[in-house]
Amino acid sequence: MNHLALRSSFLLLAAAALLPFARAEEKVPLKLQLPKPMFVGTPVPVKLPNLETPRASGRRPDFMVPKGVVNLALNKTVTSSDMEPVLGDLAQITDGEKAGDEGNYVEFGKGKQWVQVDLGAASPIYAIVVWHYHSQARVYKAVVAQLSDDPDFIKDVVTVYNNDDRNVNGLGEGKDPTYIETNEGRIIDAKGTKARYVRLYSNGNTTSDMNHYIEVEVWGLPAQ
Amino acid sequence: MSSPLPANEPAGLDRRAFLKTVSAAGLGLALTRATPAWAQAKADGSVSPNSILNIALVGVGAQGRVLMDAVLKIPTVRIVAVCDIWEYARTYGQRYLKKSGFEVRAYENHHDMLAKEKDIQAVLVATPDFWHAPVTNDCLRAGLHVYCEKMMSNTIEGARSMVKTMRETGKLLQIGHQRRSNPRYLVARDRLIRDAKLLGRITAANAQWNRAASDDLGWPNRAAMSKALLEKYGFEDMHQFRNWRWYKKYGGGPLSDLGAHQIDIFNWFFDTTPTTVIGNGGRDYYPNHEWMDNAMVIYEYHLPEGVARAFYQVQTTTSAGGGYYEQFMGVNGTLKMSENPKYTSIFREAAAPAWDEWIRRHWLAAPTAPASAADTTEASSEKVDARETAELASYRLPVVLNKAIHQPHLENFFNAIRGTAKLNCPADEAFKSEMTVFKAIEAVEKKTLITCTPEDFAV
Repeated sequence: MNHLALRSSFLLLAAAALLPFARAEEKVPLKLQLPKPMFVGTPVPVKLPNLETPRASGRRPDFMVPKGVVNLALNKTVTSSDMEPVLGDLAQITDGEKAGDEGNYVEFGKGKQWVQVDLGAASPIYAIVVWHYHSQARVYKAVVAQLSDDPDFIKDVVTVYNNDDRNVNGLGEGKDPTYIETNEGRIIDAKGTKARYVRLYSNGNTTSDMNHYIEVEVWGLPAQ
Repeated sequence: MSSPLPANEPAGLDRRAFLKTVSAAGLGLALTRATPAWAQAKADGSVSPNSILNIALVGVGAQGRVLMDAVLKIPTVRIVAVCDIWEYARTYGQRYLKKSGFEVRAYENHHDMLAKEKDIQAVLVATPDFWHAPVTNDCLRAGLHVYCEKMMSNTIEGARSMVKTMRETGKLLQIGHQRRSNPRYLVARDRLIRDAKLLGRITAANAQWNRAASDDLGWPNRAAMSKALLEKYGFEDMHQFRNWRWYKKYGGGPLSDLGAHQIDIFNWFFDTTPTTVIGNGGRDYYPNHEWMDNAMVIYEYHLPEGVARAFYQVQTTTSAGGGYYEQFMGVNGTLKMSENPKYTSIFREAAAPAWDEWIRRHWLAAPTAPASAADTTEASSEKVDARETAELASYRLPVVLNKAIHQPHLENFFNAIRGTAKLNCPADEAFKSEMTVFKAIEAVEKKTLITCTPEDFAV
């Protein structure tokens, strides 16, 4: 093999080695299956200091994720700070059902509560999508999303969303906006953070002190 | 009817003193946020153990949950039992209350509850309307005081029977027109309209409640009731059970569900009942419902100062038009009221006598400048008519209700049981509004002018 051939082989090998990364960098819009809109009741103006202005019209801008991401949370185990919900059971949070009507949400106790999804293995995570409750125009307070490989969330915790502007959860003051719940769910950018566990906090909502979840999706690349 | 507001406050009563007056006279004891509130109050000695009332909740649906939440904030009341024919709902009530520190017993129906619960003093009734009269009458006859949600009944006969049972038993029957205990409404009615006569002669009123179109309510299949259980309690099927408000057998439709609150405000603020009503409306959007989905009615009231007409509309297919409010229009000003303070304003006509005195007394908060006064860039082409009246200055109501909106009305009920207050909406008073709503429904269904006589409103 001459020098030129050796050089060509080396370049081919290098290109082949980089291929997975090149694929990972290929971005596509995140495709979500959205439930039917369900607002009922009289619209009530919601006033919070860090409330983002709802989008006036049109569809939500595309959220770009690497090609090949899947919902890693589907049918995975959920635990919670409140293991005896008022309504529903924890498995509903990752069962893929996102309809907003009675019976499809899990209601947890008052104040600070969390739910946690065990993905089974550490994986790069690009988006967390959460539907708290979307049959009323509510805002859930002190929403925090964290990732970790520690099931107790003591070590190596990465916070990817925090709108707790008064630090009522005690996890640090957050700068992210609060938002009105809709059938679109909330997409949280997890920035490719590799983790096995996803934990979501909330601390009541603008209608009651209770906490609710309909569905949590965690979009990432399956663990190698 | 009792009013917590003194008729004539000394000049210069400041807002804090005024609110203190409202609180002391109408709203009962100072509240502390605790869970459970009654246990905290008992432990710290702020409430005598003898003054704690044991109550039960019959009906743990959407409205029952609202009442439950409000009761949890009242330290002198303890929920000891819940009752609902739907296991899903009563389990919800039991678990919800457990998280708030209440170990409650759950029953399928009120007969079982009355047979076994011997240490309750009062019952809150939040069932579908057609169960209001039977449950209320049974509870009154069992020696209990009752707080029943409006409408009193889906029939005039049912509502009349409730008034009669209240009188026969001597027990208290409060109807859930909660605005009648809201200090913001009390100030607006008693102070601004009656005492200060801010609006001058009132010639018109209008009110509305508009809600967006929505799908019928569903239910979790795993929690569906059997046909036999549904029929035992008068329901055709799960769909009608979950959507009872749209069916004539169970409820009164939007004029009753939403309109009753606001039509009651017409009667209460005008302090009389209407003489006629004309209306139109229909079931134009939801083909599977029995009740109309929209209605527009006009009442005529004969006030001591002259005739006033009151327009009411309810829409269940659009949320446009400014939500829900009640508006009273006089020659000197207009009061726009709502349970939501954001929808509340008092507008002064440009030629009206000055309102400075009322601002000085803190009966009103200073006006905000009309938008057009601040906007000097308005193009002349946008001016519509040289005779157009100037935009009115908007004053604010300087009273805040920092509680759940049903809480003051429940507190009034509990204080009346203790003998420290009079009911703000006893059944015989509520019956007048009940009949006023039934007259509107009749006007819409017949599409004709309906006459109301004083005898219609008497029991």
